[in-house]
Amino acid sequence: MEIRVKSQLGGDGPEKIVVEKLVQSFDALTVIDRISLKVAEGEFLAIVGPSGCGKSTLLRVLAGLVKPTAGRVRIDGKDVNGPNRRHSLVFQEHALFPWRTVFQNVALGLEIERQSHEQIRQRVTELLALVGLDQFPGYYPHQLSGGMRQRAALARVLAVDPDVLLLDEPFGALDAMTRLTLQDELLRIFLNSGKTVILVTHDVEEALFLADRVIIMSTVPGRIREVIPVTEKRPRDRGSANLAGLKRTVLGILGLEPVIGNVRVPETNFSI
Amino acid sequence: MAERTGTAEAVERPESLSAWQLRFARVFPYAIAFLAIVAGWQVAALIFPSYLIPSPGSVVRRLGGELAREAFLITVGRSFFRLSIGFTLASFLGLMVGLASGVWPFFRRFTRALVSILQSVPPIAWVPLFIILLGFGDYPIILVIIIAAFFPMAVAVMNGVEQVEKLHVDVARLLGADNKQLIAKVYAPEVIPSIVTGAQVGFGNAWRSLIAAEMVGGVNIGLGWFINFAGEIADMTGVLTGIVVIGLFSAVLDGYVLERLKRRLLKWKYV
Ligand SMILES: Nc1ncnc2c1ncn2[C@@H]1O[C@H](COP(=O)(O)OP(=O)(O)OP(=O)(O)O)[C@@H](O)[C@H]1O
Ligand SMILES: [Mg+2]
Repeated sequence: MEIRVKSQLGGDGPEKIVVEKLVQSFDALTVIDRISLKVAEGEFLAIVGPSGCGKSTLLRVLAGLVKPTAGRVRIDGKDVNGPNRRHSLVFQEHALFPWRTVFQNVALGLEIERQSHEQIRQRVTELLALVGLDQFPGYYPHQLSGGMRQRAALARVLAVDPDVLLLDEPFGALDAMTRLTLQDELLRIFLNSGKTVILVTHDVEEALFLADRVIIMSTVPGRIREVIPVTEKRPRDRGSANLAGLKRTVLGILGLEPVIGNVRVPETNFSI
Repeated sequence: MAERTGTAEAVERPESLSAWQLRFARVFPYAIAFLAIVAGWQVAALIFPSYLIPSPGSVVRRLGGELAREAFLITVGRSFFRLSIGFTLASFLGLMVGLASGVWPFFRRFTRALVSILQSVPPIAWVPLFIILLGFGDYPIILVIIIAAFFPMAVAVMNGVEQVEKLHVDVARLLGADNKQLIAKVYAPEVIPSIVTGAQVGFGNAWRSLIAAEMVGGVNIGLGWFINFAGEIADMTGVLTGIVVIGLFSAVLDGYVLERLKRRLLKWKYV
C-alpha cells in the first residue's frame, strides 16, 4: 500500500480542492473568516473544531450549496458555482426522504441518473450490504434507529460514486461499536477508490485514525488554527502511542485535556 | 440466503399482523356513532308524534320508495353534477393559486390577505348576489361551491409548498437533480399530503354549501331543494329522508373514498 506523506500545503497529489481567502457571512455574523486551504487528490482531510465554528457551513460552500461571500473555491481547477454530483455531501442531519424506503432513498441518485431498474437494484443491494442495512430495504426512515439512518444517508451518497466525499459528522449518532466498524469501512472505501474525503467530526480519535491531516478550527468566526499532519502508516493502530500523543496535542490546542482534575475522561470516543 | 427470506417476512409482518386491527379500529368508531344517532332518533320518535318526528324505520321505507322513483334519482344526480363541477374547478384553481403562492412570496402575501378578508364570509351569503348576476339555475350554486372549496385547497397547498424541507431539496440537487426532477422527486411528494388535506376540507365545505345553496337558491331540483320543499308541505319523512341521503353520501365519499385515497398516497405514514 502506498503511503503518502502530506505536507501542510496539501500533500503530493495534484491539487484537487483549492480554497482561497474564503469568507462566509450571514447578515452581520461572519462565520468563516478568510480560510485558505489546499487538498490534494486522494487526500483524507479531517476537520475538528468547537460547535458553531462554521464546519458545516464550510462543507456546504465546498458542495456548492452556498455561494461564498468572498473568496474562491475551486475543485479540479474550476470554480464551484453550484451543486455537482461529483462532489457530494452527507449532511449532519441524515435528511432521508420520509416517504421513501431505505432502498428507495439509496436509489435516489441513480434514479436521477436515469439508470435502469436492474442496475439500480444491483447497485443498491451492494451498497446496503456495505453499510449493513441489507436486512432493512423496505423500512421507512422513521422505523430506523439514528445510526441506521446515518448509514442509509452515507449509502445514498456513495451510490453516485462522487470523487470528492464531504462528510458532516456522519457517525455522530452511532454507538461506539458501529462507529468503529464504519470507520474501518470508510477507510476501506477511501483506500480502494482514491476518493478525496473531507470529514467533519467531533471525535478527535476518529480524525486521527482516518485522516492524512487534521485541521483544527477556532471558535466563530472560524479560522484555521492549526494543521496536524498524521503520517502514521495505515492501517493504524487505534491504541498506538503516536496517535495518543497527537490526541493530547489536538485536545491541548482545543483547550481541553484528556485528564481534568482527578476525573479521568474515558479514552475511547472522547468528544468535544 | 435463508436469512434473507426470514427478513423479508420480518419486514412484512408488522403490516399484516395489525391489518385487521387497523381496519377494526377504523370502522368501529363509525359503527358506534351510527348506532348512537339511530338510537337518539328512535327515542325522539317515541316521544314526539310521528307527523313531527317519523321513526327511522318509516324513513328507511320511504327512502326505498324514493330510490325507485326516477324524479328522486334525477334530483340527487343534479346535486352531484353541481358538486363535481364546482369541486373540481375549485380544487384545480386552489391548487394553482396555492402553488403560485408557495413559490412567490408576493403572491403569498396577496393570497393571505384575500383569504383573511373573504374567509369570514359564509359562502352561502353570496347566493343573492350571484342569483342577480347569473339568474336562477346551476351557475350561482356552482359558484358558491367553488368559493367554498377554493380557499381550503389554496391555503393547504400554499402552506405545503412553504414547508417543503429545504434540506431535501439540497440533497436532490447534490445528487444532480434538474428542475423537473426536483419537482417530481421532492416537491410533489412533499406537497401531496397538503393537497389531500385541502381536498378533504374543501370537499366538506363544498358539500355543505351545495345543500344550503340549493335550499335558498330558488332552484326546483336538487337534494337541498328536496328537503326544503318537503319542509314546506310539512312532509317530515321527506325532510329526514333527504338528511339521511346527505349523511350517507358524505360519509361514504369523505370517510371512505377520500380517506382511502389519502392512505394510498401517504402509505409511508401509516406503516
Ligand atoms: N443559513 C444560515 N443563516 C444564518 N446563520 C447561519 C446559517 N447557517 C449557519 N449559520 C450560523 O453559522 C454558524 C456556524 O454554523 P455551522 O452549522 O457551520 O456550525 P458547525 O461548526 O457545523 O457546528 P456543529 O459542530 O455544532 O455542527 C452558526 O452560528 C450558525 O448559527
Ligand atoms: Mg455542523
